[in-house]
Amino acid sequence: MELFFQRLIDGLSQGSVYSLIALGLVIIYRGTGHLNFAQGEMALFCAYCVYQFGEWGIPVWIALVLGMAVGFAVGAASEVTLVRPISKKSPFAVFVVTLGLFTFLNWLDGAIWGNQQLPNSGVGSKQQSYPSLFPNAPDDFWQPFGVTIRYERAGILALVLVITALLFLLFNKTKFGLAMRAVASNTESAKLAGIRTNTVLMVSWGLAAAIGAVGGVVIAGLNSNVNLGLMFTVFIYGSAAATLGGFDSPIGAVLGGLIIGVVENMASGYAQEWIGQDMKLSVAFMVILVVLLFKPSGLFGTAKVERV
Amino acid sequence: MPLLDVKDLKAGYGPVNVLDGMHLHVDQGEFVVMLGANGAGKTTTMRAISGLIPRHGSIVFEGHDIHKASADSIVRSGIAQVPQGRGTFPELSVEDNLLAGAYVRHGGDGVHDDMDKWFAVFPRLAERRAQRAGSLSGGEQQMLAIARALMSRPKLLLCDEPSLGLAPLITQELFAVLERLNRDEGLSVLLVEQNANLAMHIANRVYLLETGQIVASGSAEELGADDAIRKAYLGF
Repeated sequence: MELFFQRLIDGLSQGSVYSLIALGLVIIYRGTGHLNFAQGEMALFCAYCVYQFGEWGIPVWIALVLGMAVGFAVGAASEVTLVRPISKKSPFAVFVVTLGLFTFLNWLDGAIWGNQQLPNSGVGSKQQSYPSLFPNAPDDFWQPFGVTIRYERAGILALVLVITALLFLLFNKTKFGLAMRAVASNTESAKLAGIRTNTVLMVSWGLAAAIGAVGGVVIAGLNSNVNLGLMFTVFIYGSAAATLGGFDSPIGAVLGGLIIGVVENMASGYAQEWIGQDMKLSVAFMVILVVLLFKPSGLFGTAKVERV
Repeated sequence: MPLLDVKDLKAGYGPVNVLDGMHLHVDQGEFVVMLGANGAGKTTTMRAISGLIPRHGSIVFEGHDIHKASADSIVRSGIAQVPQGRGTFPELSVEDNLLAGAYVRHGGDGVHDDMDKWFAVFPRLAERRAQRAGSLSGGEQQMLAIARALMSRPKLLLCDEPSLGLAPLITQELFAVLERLNRDEGLSVLLVEQNANLAMHIANRVYLLETGQIVASGSAEELGADDAIRKAYLGF
């Protein structure tokens, strides 16, 4: 039983990273109907930046905020310079643009920071391991009822819940959130209500990338290092989380991420011999497939309701 | 000076100009109806005035040329449009639709009073205030779209075929509300219709639009008295 709770908690904290990536995807999808393939790589770029800030001696939480600012700028700039002009011509071209951005950002990371994992004493890193947002020494854990809860894992889960709550307040209690929901629902009517739809879309992309940045820093922290391939599977899990939760539901994205994290950990933990590490991805996707068979718009997604 | 003065308006989609140099004006407190068949350019006119499509010529509102202004700043200057079909936010609640309509207003002063006012005018919206707009009937959605536009406290209301797809009784009810707003509150209205009969009764002035040009204008009586116009355009 202790093992069950152990895996539950590990799964939740792992899943909260997927939630952050999924949240970014959902914010952009709701606003523009586009799937941003570069979401993971934007997060990775920010994670590299936070490593760099750490090398310059900037404390990790300040580095995180700076990393989020970098993410916001990258996301907003991508929307204004690439996505907006091209989506006017063809929505399918946006798909290619975000794929291009994906490969470009990965190349850029390699060009700036090399292709070795960082920190790395071989290239003269001052940091021993990737900066962690929470205490993560070997004895930094509670052990209630025999379940080991590491401070780092609990902290990450709490951080994701706080971000979710703040987003909920932004969407539902602020004027700007109302504008975001209005643009997502009907862009033309939003214009006719006097909403600056271009500003809303730019900020949405910025916000999505800033949230993704937190995900990138958290996963690099859990991994103790950052490397060029870090976000590949995380992005796949993140998009799966968004699909599972419903692509237009922020709450769905968070829960979808947590569910996938738990399923992944349970599957590889309980059926190690025949599922193991390599197959756990497939198990997560089988769960999603079954859910979507019965609920095509995702667990919390809204099927479009329109009456004529 | 007219409230809205449109001169030599050219607008369209891509290389094709649907409107090729049209003129119209709306005076303060006037109820102007524009009639025309499908494809005459009625919706294009509305979209051009609201800044949703590129346009050339001069569009002067309260003395300011707005033909280059963005859609949101045109709303801020006091023109609200109820677009054809669905002018609502289907995923948002009725209340949120109205709050979004008040987006251009500074601060929350009077927003809730206005909301109550429109709920009094459209009691069926009040009953459904927490429901998603997409779940309302066509007539209710049209009422919501009008109330949404009025929440910005416009000086000029543009209405693009509000009768489209509605039962005649509902249309009459909507037109009665618009007429009352025009009479009692001095709201200037430019309304576009295919349904000549209903609209002409409440108009101070009528324009007839054909292939992007105004072909006749005058009071409802004047146009109705001209046999050729009546047969060709008004169908009665």
